[in-house]
Amino acid sequence: MSYAGTPGLVEEKVAYDETTLVVDPARLVEACEHLRDEEGFCFLSDLSSVDYAGWGEEPVAGYWGGAGGRDLNQPGTWGLARKPAPKRKRFAVNLHLLCVRSGAREARRVRVQVWVDDGEQIPSVVSVWPTADWLEREVWDMMGIRFSGHPDLTRILMDDDWEGFPLRKDYPIGGEPVRFSGEE
Amino acid sequence: MAVGGKRLADYGLRSERLLWPDKGPGVFEQEVDNLEQRVGLTTLAKAVAWSQTKSMWPDTFGLACCAIEMMSIVSSRYDIARFGMEAFRASPRQADLLIVSGRVVHKMAAPLRQIYDQMLEPKWVIAMGACASSGGMFNNYTTLQGVDKIVPVDIHVPGCPPRPEGLMEGILRLHEKVLAGVPPAYEIRGVAE
Amino acid sequence: MAIAPEKRKSPIYEGSRIPQPIPSVLQVPEALRRSDDILEVNFGPNHPSTHGVLRLIVELDGEKVVGLRAVVGYLHTGFEKSMESKTWWKAIPFAPRMDYLAFQANELAFVLAIEKLLGIEVPPKATWMRMLLTELNRIHSHLVWLGTSALELGAISPFWYTFRERDRVLDLFEMVAGTRMHTRYFQVGGLAEDIPRGFFDECRKFCEIMPGAVDEYEQLLTYNEIWLKRTKGVGLLSADDALALGQSGPVLRGSGVDWDLRRAQPYLAYDQVDFDVPVYYNGDVWDRYKVHMDEMRESTRIVSQALEGMPGGAWIADDRKVVLPPREELHTSMETLIHHFKLVTEGFRVPEGEVYLAIESPRGEFGCYLCSDGGPKPWRVRFRTPSFIALQATATLVRDGLVADMIAAVGSLDTVMGECDR
Repeated sequence: MSYAGTPGLVEEKVAYDETTLVVDPARLVEACEHLRDEEGFCFLSDLSSVDYAGWGEEPVAGYWGGAGGRDLNQPGTWGLARKPAPKRKRFAVNLHLLCVRSGAREARRVRVQVWVDDGEQIPSVVSVWPTADWLEREVWDMMGIRFSGHPDLTRILMDDDWEGFPLRKDYPIGGEPVRFSGEE
Repeated sequence: MAVGGKRLADYGLRSERLLWPDKGPGVFEQEVDNLEQRVGLTTLAKAVAWSQTKSMWPDTFGLACCAIEMMSIVSSRYDIARFGMEAFRASPRQADLLIVSGRVVHKMAAPLRQIYDQMLEPKWVIAMGACASSGGMFNNYTTLQGVDKIVPVDIHVPGCPPRPEGLMEGILRLHEKVLAGVPPAYEIRGVAE
Repeated sequence: MAIAPEKRKSPIYEGSRIPQPIPSVLQVPEALRRSDDILEVNFGPNHPSTHGVLRLIVELDGEKVVGLRAVVGYLHTGFEKSMESKTWWKAIPFAPRMDYLAFQANELAFVLAIEKLLGIEVPPKATWMRMLLTELNRIHSHLVWLGTSALELGAISPFWYTFRERDRVLDLFEMVAGTRMHTRYFQVGGLAEDIPRGFFDECRKFCEIMPGAVDEYEQLLTYNEIWLKRTKGVGLLSADDALALGQSGPVLRGSGVDWDLRRAQPYLAYDQVDFDVPVYYNGDVWDRYKVHMDEMRESTRIVSQALEGMPGGAWIADDRKVVLPPREELHTSMETLIHHFKLVTEGFRVPEGEVYLAIESPRGEFGCYLCSDGGPKPWRVRFRTPSFIALQATATLVRDGLVADMIAAVGSLDTVMGECDR
């Protein structure tokens, strides 16, 4: 089903049986309220972020075969090194929504995606779903994306005085070097 | 296996390596050799060591998956009550043995050291599992690569998680060490680099 | 913020209200702070009664809890970052170590998500076996939960009873996968190895004794006067608040919402087996306890049905680009050798895309969000863990409660700190 009436909708894509709604960050709260009240997504499953820095720099061999599975009988489709399509901005914040109805036999899900660059802020959706409180704190702690309007945006998983945002791609994995292994 | 003229078995250590009798002394035997004067206790010290091993109460320091296997040594199948150790004390003041079971991360390192400091001497530490011994599979920014970086460790028990029998083996070897008179780790060595 | 009723076009569900902002921190009211002695106590990360390394900063007015803040992160192991640096195969052993009580549920979510991205078809025997093992894992998780929660409330005996059955479940896992916990038996495409002989008989024996064992636990606890006094009316959570706070699993079902992902979005073969979903309507600790007990019985039913209905056939998919070839062929076929080599060293490649897959773990909705760039390593792995979400509800649960009620309520949330902190 189509969610074309969502305010601030930039793009709607469907892949792997999942609908993703790319929404303008400035109108995120409006869009979420619309989805909660009009479309019935009363449950926020997850709010997470992805860092796409360095996306597409390494050409990756295309996966041979189509959505229907692999087709070994189609030569020339293997090993074509191509770069994945570049992303809009550096960070994507995904909100996974779920429609919970007591006794239902159907779980309708949708993903709301907003794109931001380093330093840009996103409005907090705590007023729409209170679950978002700690989830947004975790995104701040791990990725460094600020949420404006959040009651208490502090570190939650790392130490309070930790510097840096661990899940960013430019943050080193850390640890000790192990002899004879490929990783340093 | 002879160390300083006496066989390890004469010191009371039953777990010498039987399969490789010609191999030279390992780190454990060398340590025992260095403490030759301390090993070989007086009768009173032997009695004290015997009573220490027969009721060495662990501290509840279960962190992650290894904690579940540590709980299962209390269960009826593996029954650590036969060794007098079923009384897991919550207060470190009342505990003798700190079984660090699970991965220690930077945020938890300070509470761990605080608990260790609050324990009264003599105290022993068992690093249970791969994560406590050396960081395990988590070689990253947040996991401490071995708990011996902050507390001196007596026994490392490998496994992910170690079987309850494996942990019992570690505990029994610790008992043997104590019976033989090997002092707790904080007297021999400090923390690792 | 409340929305006027006429703006709502479709009801959310029966008897709902648009949730007010629900704080995850209980604040001491100012008047009380000025007038009385408020004692700030730290239920530190090392505590016998909190499940794992959870820190609760509690402000007490006598025995009453007037302020509460939960601090987590004492077990943050950097799973997500570690998995980004490993190939898809090598990342699988990381998953079970998050929720260390329901280890196979974590593996299942991760492996199912990879299979969804790959578009690979899993043979039915592997699907049914996965379902059987996941249900055994659910029983295991509930047994440990029951033993430790009862222990926290002072009921020490059930611990030995539940761990007796738990050891039998772990014997079954050991028979199948070689190790008691963190089995890593689920492989992308099916199972890692064929099911050994003798497993089904042992499993049948277990299914025969399990309902009797659950009866024993119920005899000890359910209508025990002390247990009722400690758990009835304690830790109340209404259905509205539960949904607003994102609760799922037994916490949601104990508050009256009939929601189970095995029923609502059947994965594996749950639509082909018959089971009930227990729902209780009072929203207190006793109801959540009853949900857990009934779920143990239902899981035993599912395991028995899976034993009857287990199909034969291959245990892993036939796609040689993703799955290791059989070892006998390595001696004779060059392509097999090359494929084996490439799979073990570089790993298979997963097509570009992102996918979110949620399953019903014993704690609730366990979701895995995968983002792949088409390469041999994951670009981003994110686990939506129910314990992280559940701990936000502590402030709501222990409103107007005593310290003892706080212990009971936090225990009933069934949190595992490994999965909370990842």
